[in-house]
Amino acid sequence: MKYQWHFEVVWENFPIMLSGIGLTIALSILSMLAGAILGMVIALARLSPWTWLRGLAYCYTELFRTTPLLVQIVWVFYVLPLVTGIAFTPFYSGLVAFGLNIAAFMAEIYRAGITSVGQGQTQASLALGMTNAQVMRRILIPQAVTRMIPPIGTMWISLFKDTSLVSAIGVTELMYQARFLAVDTYRPVEIFTVCALIYFVITFPQSIGVNWLYHKYRTRE
Amino acid sequence: MADVVVRVEDLHKSFDDLEVLKGVSMEVQRGEVVVIIGASGSGKSTFLKCLNRLEEPNRGRIFLEDVEITGQKTDLPKVRRNIGMIFQQFNLFPHMSAIQNVMEGPRTVLRMSGERAREHASQLLDKVGLSDKLDVKPGQLSGGQQQRVAIARALAMEPKVMLFDEVTSALDPELVGEVLTVMKQLADEGMTMLVVTHEMQFGERVADRVVMFDEGVILEEGPPEKIFQRAESERTRRFLNQLHWEGE
Ligand SMILES: Nc1ncnc2c1ncn2[C@@H]1O[C@H](COP(=O)(O)OP(=O)(O)OP(=O)(O)O)[C@@H](O)[C@H]1O
Ligand SMILES: [Mg+2]
Repeated sequence: MKYQWHFEVVWENFPIMLSGIGLTIALSILSMLAGAILGMVIALARLSPWTWLRGLAYCYTELFRTTPLLVQIVWVFYVLPLVTGIAFTPFYSGLVAFGLNIAAFMAEIYRAGITSVGQGQTQASLALGMTNAQVMRRILIPQAVTRMIPPIGTMWISLFKDTSLVSAIGVTELMYQARFLAVDTYRPVEIFTVCALIYFVITFPQSIGVNWLYHKYRTRE
Repeated sequence: MADVVVRVEDLHKSFDDLEVLKGVSMEVQRGEVVVIIGASGSGKSTFLKCLNRLEEPNRGRIFLEDVEITGQKTDLPKVRRNIGMIFQQFNLFPHMSAIQNVMEGPRTVLRMSGERAREHASQLLDKVGLSDKLDVKPGQLSGGQQQRVAIARALAMEPKVMLFDEVTSALDPELVGEVLTVMKQLADEGMTMLVVTHEMQFGERVADRVVMFDEGVILEEGPPEKIFQRAESERTRRFLNQLHWEGE
């Protein structure tokens, strides 16, 4: 069987796909920011001296790490409005779901980074008379940051690709537009091929960048 | 009249079921150098860490001059400023240069101006023989140099007493001397010091008193001549003999 490729369809509809890319990028960046900030709060909770707060933060991270992302997205879109009475647009539902999800993973990255710094640093700082907050701010976080950068890069790349899942709740990002065009034009093969290529072209350089970060910070140890 | 800097009364410390300190009492006079010896696991490090409450004692009281360290409402960061601590593994801050390490306490804890802290820190680094290493990161320093920076870092807080926990044990043999020289100089200047060490020569030359720990209690103590030559306890004699063997 010989398939007749018809890429003209793609070029005719390229503006639509481009508009999807914009939304994909916006959703990724905003989710990352929200997750980075909320994740810091959760990480500090996990490192706090209070058992109940540590337990709460632990449950949070495990909940988001052990359920499928698609389930989380759908849950936030359909169930959260019923529970809270607040209905979001599909985009904001996606943002909430990703923000909460990324926060769980970021919290683990922060925590691993901070605990990897080692007991000796904390003891030396406390012995100088620093408060716990000063130890965190002056000693632990600055050292942890370089160790966190590579895993954050890895997570960013999976986040960028995973945003395609929100097409399931009707966010008009790249994947949604591709699905729409596939039906509309009867040319799913071309459309999805180009869609995959677009993801690849955007993600591949970033992947190289992340590998470089791993290399850079590993040899620094 | 006795001028007591550190007073420890009946200190107990357990880790779960393991009782590590079983009632230790001690008084340290101003300017005194107390050398603590004892087998591995006898509780020497735990004892030092209880003194600034890096470990939480289970029972007993500790005073620095007339301030109780073990009180419920003790302002820990405030009392810890007065107690310098030097560790076996140096524990310098690797993201800071030598002089930044020494300035860190005065800047962050005492809120001293940058200019004054820098001036003071460079004097201290000069004192420990590192005036040419001010802007070098710890990773580029030898173990002996790192340990001297650590001593300068502790001195920058102008502590009333300094605790040394096997500070030469992680060093190559040829680097031990430079650190001991700095410690001897501090002792000569009248610093009050508690020193856990296996360096018996340092004990003989610098200590005012040697304290032998054994399984969480003070087995015996006295002037170095007495402990090193005429220890009363068989266990102390055996411990010292073994050290000499290892040193050979
Ligand atoms: N954080 C801890 N948790 C549980 N057990 C501990 C802890 N710290 C020390 N111990 C135990 O307490 C005992 C005394 O330890 P400590 O470090 O005070 O001995 P030490 O006299 O300093 O020995 P060394 O000469 O080997 O340094 C050891 O049996 C050790 O395993
Ligand atoms: Mg020890």
